[in-house]
Amino acid sequence: MTDPLVYVRAIHFAATLLAAGAVYFVVLVLPRTEAETISTTRLRKWLAVIAWCSLAVCVVSGAFWLALNARSMSGQPLVELLPQGVIGTVLWQTEFGNAWLIRFAAAVLFAAAMPVLFTPKKPPLWIETATVILATVLTGGLAWAGHAIGASGVESVAHPTADVLHLIAAAAWLGALPLLGLLLGFAARGDVSLAAARIATIRFSMLGTASVATLLVSGIVNTWYLAGSVAALTDTSYGRLLLIKIALFLGMVAVAAVNRLYVTPRLLYDDSAPTAALTLRRNALVETFGGVAILLIIAKLGTMTPANHLGLHAGAVPADAAFVHIHSGEGMADVTINPGHTGVARASVRLWDEDFNPLNAKAMTFGVAPPDAPAKATNRPAAQDADGAWHIDNIELPQQGNWTVTVDITLGSGKHVLLDAPIVIDPAQ
Amino acid sequence: MRTLFAVLSFLLAASVAAEAHAMLDHATPLVGSTVPTAPHEVALTFTQNLEAAFSTIEVTDGGGSRVDQGKTQVSGNSMRIGLKALTPGTYKVHWHALSVDTHSTQGTFSFQVGGH
Repeated sequence: MTDPLVYVRAIHFAATLLAAGAVYFVVLVLPRTEAETISTTRLRKWLAVIAWCSLAVCVVSGAFWLALNARSMSGQPLVELLPQGVIGTVLWQTEFGNAWLIRFAAAVLFAAAMPVLFTPKKPPLWIETATVILATVLTGGLAWAGHAIGASGVESVAHPTADVLHLIAAAAWLGALPLLGLLLGFAARGDVSLAAARIATIRFSMLGTASVATLLVSGIVNTWYLAGSVAALTDTSYGRLLLIKIALFLGMVAVAAVNRLYVTPRLLYDDSAPTAALTLRRNALVETFGGVAILLIIAKLGTMTPANHLGLHAGAVPADAAFVHIHSGEGMADVTINPGHTGVARASVRLWDEDFNPLNAKAMTFGVAPPDAPAKATNRPAAQDADGAWHIDNIELPQQGNWTVTVDITLGSGKHVLLDAPIVIDPAQ
Repeated sequence: MRTLFAVLSFLLAASVAAEAHAMLDHATPLVGSTVPTAPHEVALTFTQNLEAAFSTIEVTDGGGSRVDQGKTQVSGNSMRIGLKALTPGTYKVHWHALSVDTHSTQGTFSFQVGGH
């Protein structure tokens, strides 16, 4: 069963991007000359309704997200979260909660500014600027609910920065895109002047180009930190979903390029303009569907856990032990031989599936072969401990050098997975 | 185009650990180790910064009784807990970490005090 958090995240992302996209669209895209303002009066009412609804959904889904996260952080059932003070602890004592408080404050101020922002009369510049900043805080703050934070060193600055820019660019493009489609629909019916549609389309085209460039660069940075290798992209569910997301993004960019190069110029001529407006509206809808699919993938990616049990690193094992991590598409093994020098040793093996969940294995045979003598391999059945690790005692390692370890796993399904890798055995100390 | 290809090749060929969750990076005493004298604390370092409100360590003896001093101290990506005076034997460490990106990880390992 799918984690309800996936749906809540998807709804919250969509609502946030749409609310912020409405602000960017009204302030940066929609023309403000007197004639065009009159022409877009009815459209502005619709934009206000969309902004109000999406902001309301954003706040409600944000509350659900907070509750579900508080439940998973504390292990308490939902009904106990308020009586036990867990919600308060999460809000005031975690980075996620602090981000939610700031985003909630931004949403309240955003709501206060909306009656002025969406009227035909041009609001003061400071109101427009402030609302753009509030929409940006509401959107960029989502980075503190994802994988971009928590690292140290350069990544602690580079990754959140890239993620914030990624979210803002997504709101400016994906959030404003359906609103452009709405405007073009009005224009095709004659409810908005063609002059207003032309200005808006050209402005959106510039905003879209800047957003796509930002999404591309920040997406590369995010992928670098979250996947970082071909194996991680192709061998894990997380990586494969990320590849689908990238493919969808490239498809949307292709449609946007067609719009920019072939369709938008036709909008400039009165005879072809109504057809061009309808084509652009259809393409905007296609891109919006692509964007919704991307949001669903993002919602799922954020809940996936590459390592939800013991994640053991070489640095955590004894200094005199030999350690190797063996990775394949079918399974992974962390092999520790202790002590890692000649003599008699004990091997400990932890098995993972491709997503770092414990592998469902019913038996395991462990083999060690001395350097340059694979025929002299010793193969022994391993015993499993209560904590899931497999152990093999009294392994004789008579010589130093590059040994080969073999892990033959019998899965619950009966299928065999064979992993092998070299491991260095030092001389006796 | 050549630059784009170079960027993509660099991205695909690079190998950076995918660590969006708090994984155990260093442990004192070390995982599965035997220490000659009783340690005064268990200190764990993780690959991500931790949320103090929801990250804990528990240390138990062979009989399952708590031998830690009850209050886990969390700072950045590390947490530690003081220990009571340990006698020779096997002890189990159970940790639960909530990384600041809101994901929980947990694990268990043992260490021995004494020379057997």
